[in-house]
Amino acid sequence: MPGPYKGPLERIDDTSWRIPKSYKPGMRVDGIIYADDVLIESVKQDQSPEQVANVAMLPGIVKHSLAMPDIHWGYGFCIGGVAATNPKQGGVISPGGVGYDINCGVRLLSTNLTLKDVQPRMEQLIEKLFKTVPCGVGRGGIIKFSKKELHRIMVDGSHYVVDRGFGWKSDIEMTEASGRIDNARPDFLSQRAIERGHDQCGTLGSGNHFLEIQVVERIDDPQAASAMDLVEGNITVAIHSGSRGLGYQVCDDAIKELHNAPRKYGIELPDKQLVCAPVESPEGQRYLGAMGAAANFAWANRQIMTHLVRQAFSEFFDMSAERMGLSLIYDVAHNIAKMESYEVDGRMTELCVHRKGATRAFPAGHPELPDRYKSIGQPVLVPGDMGRSSYVLVGRPSAMENTFGSCCHGAGRLMSRGAAIRAAKGRSIKRELLDRGVIAKARGRTGLDEEQPEAYKDVLQVVDVLHNADISRRVARLRPIGVMKG
Amino acid sequence: MEPSYELFDHTADMGIRVRAATLPDLLAPAGEALYDVIGDVKAGGDSEPVSINLIGEEPAELLRDYLAEVLTIFDRDARVVTSVDVATFTNDHLTATLQTAILDDRRSALHREVKAITYHELDVRSIPGGFEASLIVDI
Repeated sequence: MPGPYKGPLERIDDTSWRIPKSYKPGMRVDGIIYADDVLIESVKQDQSPEQVANVAMLPGIVKHSLAMPDIHWGYGFCIGGVAATNPKQGGVISPGGVGYDINCGVRLLSTNLTLKDVQPRMEQLIEKLFKTVPCGVGRGGIIKFSKKELHRIMVDGSHYVVDRGFGWKSDIEMTEASGRIDNARPDFLSQRAIERGHDQCGTLGSGNHFLEIQVVERIDDPQAASAMDLVEGNITVAIHSGSRGLGYQVCDDAIKELHNAPRKYGIELPDKQLVCAPVESPEGQRYLGAMGAAANFAWANRQIMTHLVRQAFSEFFDMSAERMGLSLIYDVAHNIAKMESYEVDGRMTELCVHRKGATRAFPAGHPELPDRYKSIGQPVLVPGDMGRSSYVLVGRPSAMENTFGSCCHGAGRLMSRGAAIRAAKGRSIKRELLDRGVIAKARGRTGLDEEQPEAYKDVLQVVDVLHNADISRRVARLRPIGVMKG
Repeated sequence: MEPSYELFDHTADMGIRVRAATLPDLLAPAGEALYDVIGDVKAGGDSEPVSINLIGEEPAELLRDYLAEVLTIFDRDARVVTSVDVATFTNDHLTATLQTAILDDRRSALHREVKAITYHELDVRSIPGGFEASLIVDI
């Protein structure tokens, strides 16, 4: 791997650092990285700050090229990267600013079950979930959709599958963008993208995707927690997945299709993986439409898994999902580009906001929030690792001013997969997790080793940076007690 | 130079490094490396040929595109490339016939889902006695 970052990082305050635009010719704005004095040392260990500087070269970029404290090395954009471009000033859209897993995201379900109800039978519950929710490399779903139905999924996202009976009406309102991007264009997808994803709607996948049973361990903001039905000692269920093979192929196709666009539009790029086109160009619109279709597929995917989780819990506890209060708290995308309005130079301006490993974090009062969260702000779901904890936060007004309404998306990887496997040699990660009170099971042999807690930064440290920067506020800490990995 | 491969670390994903005496000889070990990333991949049953005809701007791009084909054949068709017969591999053109066999689910153990073959740090270079290529796969 290339060595540590050697460029400039100027301390702005306790929670942020600047890469000045004077660092590299072509940078149009400064880079800003959110991190404290401890995290910034790990940030410097790879080339992710260089990627923040590269993104600052994109045409039409507004204010700053940003990185959240869970930043690590990606391709083109770093993971944890946020960039907004102004289409009216030649602003571009880049598939590298979204990633291969389009609309990878997290949703969180509340329950009125307690630790006492669940923990004694956790092993059997995880088994039940494995039998009910398809997971693992390339696995197809148990619910099959025709070509016509798949088209509807890509146009209507969560709406279509809820109408088909895979969920509750209230789920739609508790999903970012109501689980549907309006300008989706399934007709822009290649045959290969359709073929790679056609049987994968309602499947978890593998890698860092998971289904996790958690207990609410601590409440920091009682008012917000109450609005979300988060009660100390109660059980929650988190689902982390994305657009599966369909989305991966949409990104792969787009990078190829946009190959000549920089030359055509006179855009100089420092990295091929940053390939892009003006948002308003035919190429940009084509990617935006295809990405929207994949994003809708991803929301439908998580929605169907929600239905399957309810089914599994219902059969396991012999109780209806409604009686267990298995309702959706919220669903957030963390790999996406969306058109959103922000104040720029005193004017509301529509920008194309790229979030690659970053979560939307709208504050209280934002018109896009459901009534339930209007007074507290949007729930932000930040999974940590299998052994420590995850966090629920809410967006704050300063997120709109400083980060284009964005927050971190997880703990952020610290170790490579190879290093994690080497570190797991001679140990049983499963046993170690059990000692921490977590029953974890993975379909793949290397899954638990590669995803071991030590492979990630401490999520509390990451979340605290943004809490202290007033980008988001901590609401609750969730401790994992059962983990299913593909 | 005997064709060979090794996997190397990348923060969240994995890298593949391949060496061979000629450009065409890079393809087979690159495919093996990809399967190694995925897990213990076994194939069986009748062989079925797949023809590929790729156009690119440089050998590195063609190698990436080749691996993307191998990944699609695995992901979409549940088939494994067992051999590759290269007709042309120039700076901008690759044609080959791949022999494929069905993925044997019972004998295979799949550990990682490869989402894509990226362009990140993509490189093919001459080294004494042949060529060396490196690619990063997204997991």
